[in-house]
Amino acid sequence: MSTHINDTADLQAISRKRDVRRKTIPALAQAGPVSVWMILFVTLPMLFIIYISFMSRGVFGDVVYEFSTESYQTLLDATYFKVILKSLQVALFTTVLCLLLGYPFAYYIARKPPETASRLIMLIMIPFWTNSLMRLNSWLLLFQTSGPVNNFLQWAGIVDAPITFVYTDGLVVLGMITNMLPFAVLPLYSSIEKLQKSLLEASSDLGATPRETFFRVTLPLTFPGIFSAVILVFIPSLGIYTVSDMLGGGKVLYIGNIIKNQFGAIRNWPLGAALSVLLLVITGALIFLYTRFAKLEDMEVV
Amino acid sequence: MKRILSGVLASAMLLALCACGGGKTPAETAPGTDAPETPAEASTELNIYMWQQYISDELIADFESQNNCTVNLSYMSDNADAITKLTAGGGQEYDLIMTCDAYMESLIAGGYVEELDMSQVPNASNINSAYWSSPKHSIPYLGNYIYVVYNKETCPIEITCYNDLLDPSLKGQISTIDGARNLFPIALIALGYDPNSTVESEIAEAYEWLVKFNENVVAYGAAEQNLTNGTASVALTYDGNASWAMAEMGEENPLVVAPFTDDAVQLGFDMYVMPTGAKHTDLAYKFLDYICTPEVMAKNLEEFPYFCPNDAAVAAAPESYRNDPAKDFDYKENVFFQEDVGDALTIYNDYYQKLKVGQ
Amino acid sequence: MANLTKVQRRRKTLGVLGDLYAILIYTVLYIPVVVMMIFSFNDQRYNYYWSGFTTQWYGKLFGNHALMDSLWYSIVIAVLATVISVVVGTLGALGLKRYEFRMKKFINGMIFIPIIVPEIVLAVALLIIFMNVGFALGMGSILIGHCTFCIPYAVVTIKGRISGDGNTLEEASMDLGANRIQTFCRVTLPSIMPGVMSAAFLSFTLSIDDVVMSNMLSGAKNTTLPVLILSMNKSGVTPDVNALTTIMILVIVACMLLSNAVKAALRKRSQAA
Repeated sequence: MSTHINDTADLQAISRKRDVRRKTIPALAQAGPVSVWMILFVTLPMLFIIYISFMSRGVFGDVVYEFSTESYQTLLDATYFKVILKSLQVALFTTVLCLLLGYPFAYYIARKPPETASRLIMLIMIPFWTNSLMRLNSWLLLFQTSGPVNNFLQWAGIVDAPITFVYTDGLVVLGMITNMLPFAVLPLYSSIEKLQKSLLEASSDLGATPRETFFRVTLPLTFPGIFSAVILVFIPSLGIYTVSDMLGGGKVLYIGNIIKNQFGAIRNWPLGAALSVLLLVITGALIFLYTRFAKLEDMEVV
Repeated sequence: MKRILSGVLASAMLLALCACGGGKTPAETAPGTDAPETPAEASTELNIYMWQQYISDELIADFESQNNCTVNLSYMSDNADAITKLTAGGGQEYDLIMTCDAYMESLIAGGYVEELDMSQVPNASNINSAYWSSPKHSIPYLGNYIYVVYNKETCPIEITCYNDLLDPSLKGQISTIDGARNLFPIALIALGYDPNSTVESEIAEAYEWLVKFNENVVAYGAAEQNLTNGTASVALTYDGNASWAMAEMGEENPLVVAPFTDDAVQLGFDMYVMPTGAKHTDLAYKFLDYICTPEVMAKNLEEFPYFCPNDAAVAAAPESYRNDPAKDFDYKENVFFQEDVGDALTIYNDYYQKLKVGQ
Repeated sequence: MANLTKVQRRRKTLGVLGDLYAILIYTVLYIPVVVMMIFSFNDQRYNYYWSGFTTQWYGKLFGNHALMDSLWYSIVIAVLATVISVVVGTLGALGLKRYEFRMKKFINGMIFIPIIVPEIVLAVALLIIFMNVGFALGMGSILIGHCTFCIPYAVVTIKGRISGDGNTLEEASMDLGANRIQTFCRVTLPSIMPGVMSAAFLSFTLSIDDVVMSNMLSGAKNTTLPVLILSMNKSGVTPDVNALTTIMILVIVACMLLSNAVKAALRKRSQAA
């Protein structure tokens, strides 16, 4: 073997071969499955959705493969504009509330010793092992006209007649928050936990008040966590329809309902696809905004 | 421990790859490979897609033991789910699918359902032909009146027609069924039009009516729950659900069926259809004949007290069914049916969305 | 000195306030669960309001085949989805963190799509694809659907645990004669284990409670428990479902307590040794 090494071409070949063994094979083995999966089950379906959104609708709700921008023209209708606006409002409201409630909570957990903290995190997740529809139904049972809350209020003499809590916006917001809060707390916790205590101490040693430390050190440093929380709460809230259906009495349609209906009752797949593309664009814009502040790869999910 | 873990990792990898592969292969093999089963060989399974809480478990168990087969019931959460299954291409996985009269015409026209061989369903002769809209392609199962029920103690007014539902004193009091094709006919009747109108100006007027109605609505859906727990004093609901709510209220049931004078009420039917390409047709026919048997259906009615188009079964039904307060109203004949409105469905849906989006 | 006590006192009140706040949040998160448990003892055909105490649902539960089958189906799917997602996710996280390849940026972007796109969009997209290639709906399709939203979470979770400073430890291990698989099992895996565990935990949680994807992609034979509960909407939820969910959550909590106890015991033993 040693006699051949003098040959530079051979050496290159060997090093290339080695490179294949050292780099290419493990890279393929490790990144391969995930890449194949994502291309097959995310990229292709998403491209197909975009494709379908430019097709036309058959008489019987089937997709006719003829180019048309009809679906997008329909979207310009004031009705859809209102639905989108309304969905954005609710999602925004939920996100802001989850952040305001979740940040102090995440901070509280992050300050505990790691053992306790991981237990506390576990404690947040446990309710999510029960069915979300069952949990929503619980709120209805609790707050309904002849339910425990109203009974208590009447028994305590606080009110004379039962109050209608059910099917109000307040209950919808409560349901949204109890469903979405963990998605805000988990990324917030991750980023607060990573904060080096020494930084905070340094800040306070240098004479900063706790408030200054929070706004000048803690908050900026946990910004990736905050933005992750925004994305993880805002986007699912935009598409969710079970909460408003169950707790809001189905009086208001959100964009999630409308998309669901296009693929169900109304059977207008191109329009449903176009609405989905619209959601994609909205989320894409948000992500673009995110990448202005932080690297996408640094996004905290848990 | 680590060795086990790496073993698990390896096997799961394989599984994942198989799953990936599985996504592609059927594309090449899909058409033609599902050879129809030879009719001589009896099927051992029957796949049915229908509403949850709509057929007695006991009856299913009896049928299974009689025919030595397994019945797989899966459930829809919306009428449209069935239509999606039938039209999007997954229909042939089922042997029977439940649908309602409003879709029948299009389903037949589109070739999505098989024509039934009625000679294999002799008991179908018990079904009242007045309630049988597509006798070649469907077997009606149960029906639903959609009518008004109210609590005579808490409801501020007496309701005798649909227009009474707009009374301002009922604000936030009505629990109603949902869906464009359930709500619009009511508004159309209240306005004196054809409940299956395809005229846009009439539908637009109905929309205006529903906007006013919407102000009195507390919730869409869950009528039984809202009537029994006091959230609503009026409900626009199905007769079977009204029956349960009344039974739930006990001895001094304050719930009554509204004494309508002129307005017609909707009578809708859920029917079984056989999707094109169904595989276990022999068992499907046996099942259809089985549920049309008067004694069988009578037993089912005890548990599910809906309107039944099978006259012999009603005659054989228990006292509780025939004396049901939810069926105690005298305008039973004054009904209308949902018809397939064809392209006008888009108009209905657009106005329905507008209604739900609000101002 | 006096100054210090003031700071201390302030810390203490803040601590108490923090505890109270945490208790409040946990209460709100747990109220629905407790109410759900209480109504599993409700003596009523459907859960409309409280009408009396009974334990009959716990007995009847096991006779309800539809319910038990769907539970079993949900568990099988959740376990399979978790295993597949964790395996693909672990490998993917390592690969995407450590190697450079042409599609890397693209794949990194794709991974975020299932996390950020409303589930209904992805579900519909998969449904259309499956329909077009003639892939029969059933367990396979649900499993693919669940993995498609679990894998990204797994990748992102695990990637966060991989040290940024390269593979010095691994190189050391290989220099000392370990092969690639040994290195992976003995060096790499233990170092990212917390991430792998939380990825598994998250995948299972997402899969077992999924409604939207399962409803779109389920076939003729079986439905998952959440889809069955969704289909109960027309008439109402029967208390046996509450009983089932109560048993489920109790079993899960018991398993968790047990695993914690085992872990603690093992730790003690290794410290003693």
